[in-house]
Amino acid sequence: MTTPAVLADGLPGDVGRKRAAISRRGQARRGGRTRFPLWSWFWIGFAALYFLVPVFSLVQFSFGGTLANGRSAGFHWFLAVFDDPAFRSSFWLSAQIAFETVALSLLLMVPTVFWVHLRLPRLKPVMDFVSVLPFVVPPIVLVVGLEPFLQNFTWLYSRPEVLPFIYVVFALPFLYRSIDAGLRAIDLRTLSEAASNLGASTFGALARVVLPNLRSAVIGGSLLTFAIAMGEYTIASLLLFNTFPVYIFYIGQGPAAHEATALSVISLLLTWIAMAALFVIGRGGRETAQLGVTK
Amino acid sequence: MAAVGTIEPAAGEPSVGPPSVGPPSEGSPSGSALQWRRGARTWLRWIGVVPFFGYLAIFLLIPTGELVVDAFKGPTGHFTGANVSAAVHAPYLSSFETSLELSALSALFGGILGVFVATAVLHRGVPAALRPVVFTFSGMASNFAGVPLAFAFSATIGTGGVLTGLFQHLGVDLTTLVPLTSGVIGLSLVYTYFQFPLMILLVIPAIDGLKREWREASTNLGASTISYWRYVGLPIILPSLLGMMLLLFGSAFSAYATAYALSGSTGNLVPEVIGNLLNGNITVDPQLAYALAFGMIVIITVVLVCYSLLQRRASRWLR
Amino acid sequence: MATIELQELTRRFGDVVALDSLELEVASGEFVSLLGPSGCGKTTALRIVAGFEWPDSGRVLVAGRDVLDLPANRRNMGMVFQAYSLFPNMTAQQNVEFGLRVRRRPKHDRSKRAAELLDLVGLAAQKDRYPRQLSGGQQQRVALARCLAIEPSVLLLDEPLSALDAKVRVQLREEVRRIQLELGITTLYVTHDQEEALSVSDRVAVMSSGRIEQIGSPAEIYGHPRTPFVASFVGTMNHLEATVVSSAAGKVRCGPAVLDVGLSAASHSDGDVVTMYVRPEHVHVVALAPGQDMPPELFEGKVTSLTFLGPVTRVGIASALGGLLADVSSSMALSLAIDSTVGVSIEAGSLRSLALT
Ligand SMILES: Nc1ncnc2c1ncn2[C@@H]1O[C@H](COP(=O)(O)OP(=O)(O)OP(=O)(O)O)[C@@H](O)[C@H]1O
Ligand SMILES: [Mg+2]
Repeated sequence: MTTPAVLADGLPGDVGRKRAAISRRGQARRGGRTRFPLWSWFWIGFAALYFLVPVFSLVQFSFGGTLANGRSAGFHWFLAVFDDPAFRSSFWLSAQIAFETVALSLLLMVPTVFWVHLRLPRLKPVMDFVSVLPFVVPPIVLVVGLEPFLQNFTWLYSRPEVLPFIYVVFALPFLYRSIDAGLRAIDLRTLSEAASNLGASTFGALARVVLPNLRSAVIGGSLLTFAIAMGEYTIASLLLFNTFPVYIFYIGQGPAAHEATALSVISLLLTWIAMAALFVIGRGGRETAQLGVTK
Repeated sequence: MAAVGTIEPAAGEPSVGPPSVGPPSEGSPSGSALQWRRGARTWLRWIGVVPFFGYLAIFLLIPTGELVVDAFKGPTGHFTGANVSAAVHAPYLSSFETSLELSALSALFGGILGVFVATAVLHRGVPAALRPVVFTFSGMASNFAGVPLAFAFSATIGTGGVLTGLFQHLGVDLTTLVPLTSGVIGLSLVYTYFQFPLMILLVIPAIDGLKREWREASTNLGASTISYWRYVGLPIILPSLLGMMLLLFGSAFSAYATAYALSGSTGNLVPEVIGNLLNGNITVDPQLAYALAFGMIVIITVVLVCYSLLQRRASRWLR
Repeated sequence: MATIELQELTRRFGDVVALDSLELEVASGEFVSLLGPSGCGKTTALRIVAGFEWPDSGRVLVAGRDVLDLPANRRNMGMVFQAYSLFPNMTAQQNVEFGLRVRRRPKHDRSKRAAELLDLVGLAAQKDRYPRQLSGGQQQRVALARCLAIEPSVLLLDEPLSALDAKVRVQLREEVRRIQLELGITTLYVTHDQEEALSVSDRVAVMSSGRIEQIGSPAEIYGHPRTPFVASFVGTMNHLEATVVSSAAGKVRCGPAVLDVGLSAASHSDGDVVTMYVRPEHVHVVALAPGQDMPPELFEGKVTSLTFLGPVTRVGIASALGGLLADVSSSMALSLAIDSTVGVSIEAGSLRSLALT
């Protein structure tokens, strides 16, 4: 089948399609042509509520309750949390781990995805499949299986630096998908062939031509990875490291429910800042770049 | 990675024009040399992916393999089927049942809601400007899971939650209708929170792959919206939809943090039981934990096999 | 069969006026082509008739009945799209049956009708193939059979052949015409390929910027373009600047020459500057033997270009009248060389001006 240069009427999608048609004779909208998409809006509204109500409740809770002196809490719980040295240490630990995870995943994934696109395109289906594995592999199973192996490396096992090595596995789908989408958008093969035709080496081609084009995809994937590593609870808690989510959980188990919700709001804000940054960066495979689950 | 595998004209071959990747010409005097070099290059190509697959082997394959072996070992290291047999009998069998039930429910809820929202957003009557907004919010919500999500739902439909209070005025007690700490209904609603946005992100490319011409051709031939979906739209994307719902199923099945934060040590999901057996909340029994983890691996493997079969099927109509 | 009437159809997309008070009537059983440059509103007009688009104002009557109130799936019109409209999950046969299936017609009726139609488009042997197993041309035949299956009141085709290669295109357009004549179905055919429009239509409507510039039989459109746009859009045209010498006698001066243009200059008064049009096939070229004098009835010209077009060669000539293109038989063109001097004449009666509006 040959690809036609122009689609049915040469217009991109439905963008800008305006259905409102007002008759010259001032008639009301005619049957069938401008029906308001009621069900569409219903589902969108339902989804919006599903998304917002728990967030709203969480935020309300974090500002709620009354203090011993009878005043309403306001920012009290937040301030109390900030004062806790354990908060600060766990937060910085998580941030550090998240940075290391991002660095390590980029180091592993960027060259690999490039390589597959340039030299081993037939490996793509395999990569696609491998990249969904971490969606479904239970973190708890991974920890259980990794423990005996890691115990051979006591110097690493007892330090929180072990976490990024495991988190890389869970960051894989997001980074892979966003880099892959970015590369697909810029026809890597033609670009690098054109560049080497002009005398640049493959490496020079990558550095000068392709990487700048790919920046937003890489940044997007990194932000996601960061958010995921920042929020990971299962592995950290089972390996007994006091990361930020572990700390939130610990506070939540105690009597300080309001503090726990304040912490959750902070954690939520962090994720959202990452997502908002993704939105601003836009482009670069936005659709696939945001796939993410922390378990 | 620069020098390895760079395509350049072989030595001795007159380098005319751009270097080409094509096979060496038949009668070329340096043919055999080229052949050798090409062979070497083919082999070298695989070097580029060794770090990646090596890494995965260490951090994904070896632990899994280790687990499978350990599941069949007794405390003193001898081989036995006792652990696995215990894992698939009461009381642990019910953990598997609960986990499967929860995963199926939340995959169903999340999958269906996700598909509806995705089709709604792609509807012609809905402004296109809404799309990136929905993408972003889906990205946020699908990443909002674990401990904070558990607290958010406690604050919503838990004891003293915002909705609980509202519904009390209507005479409905949410804490017994959708209890968060027992049963699977409440928990599946919590999981749906990150499942349906995930489904939106997964499914939008598939729905986008349905060509406008198909829709218009079917309308032109007299089909209603329902007939279109029944005969054309759904049959084309059903394999992808099912595949994605399987991914949701798997991701719910393997989730731990959210459920654990809600039910603490009383939880009866497989991951929770494994966690309890490991950290000694109730008893320490690593062998049994291995056997339960092995059970999870079996189920996940089944999920993945079905997923890849469906993927193959899905690519039949959508290129 | 039904008539189609488009009355004062106007459609704007933001600032773009896609249709500007479009008027068109298609008689029962007639084959009318909408021909025009890209973006002139052909697709918009067709989609309004089919019910996928709505006008800001105006009416669409089919068999005398206003159809704008009918949803697209109740209009019973057959539409063939540019490409990729076959349902990929159905075989050719199932595709053809689709319209009958949603009309809940019994199974054996459906398959009988589908078999007839696949036979009609010459694809009886391929009935169990899926679209991806069919060539582009075969796919379009199935699409045609599919919309004929519902016995549509009118047939709408939006550039159905533009994704096909040249040879298949010619073959298939003839087949579309044959089937149309056989069934006597009223047909609106959108294309930007003028050869296609001229070769198969009863009438051609040339569109530009959302309006119809001229509508008429292919011979009229080609031989008697009424507007400068039609003159230059359909086929190739020479333009000559001229001054009216005698409107009564129908004579104009063009460069040094006084040309007889018959009656069409009668609407001008003496001294008016007009543009005269003549097709390259009506400009004749005579090669001169070395040393031969220019015959008095010929103008002198100099060959500036030679473009081989197959049976004819298009000769570019610089003459006292201005630049001219002439089509000469390719065998005759062998005796011409760039920069050689030639004698040029314009066929009597072929030179015309356009009535200015
Ligand atoms: N949905 C739409 N939104 C915005 N503008 C549109 C839309 N549909 C058509 N237009 C504009 O209306 C004008 C007419 O478009 P139309 O598709 O009818 O042209 P056409 O004659 O079919 O061209 P082509 O030969 O390229 O198919 C164009 O300028 C186009 O940009
Ligand atoms: Mg068009």
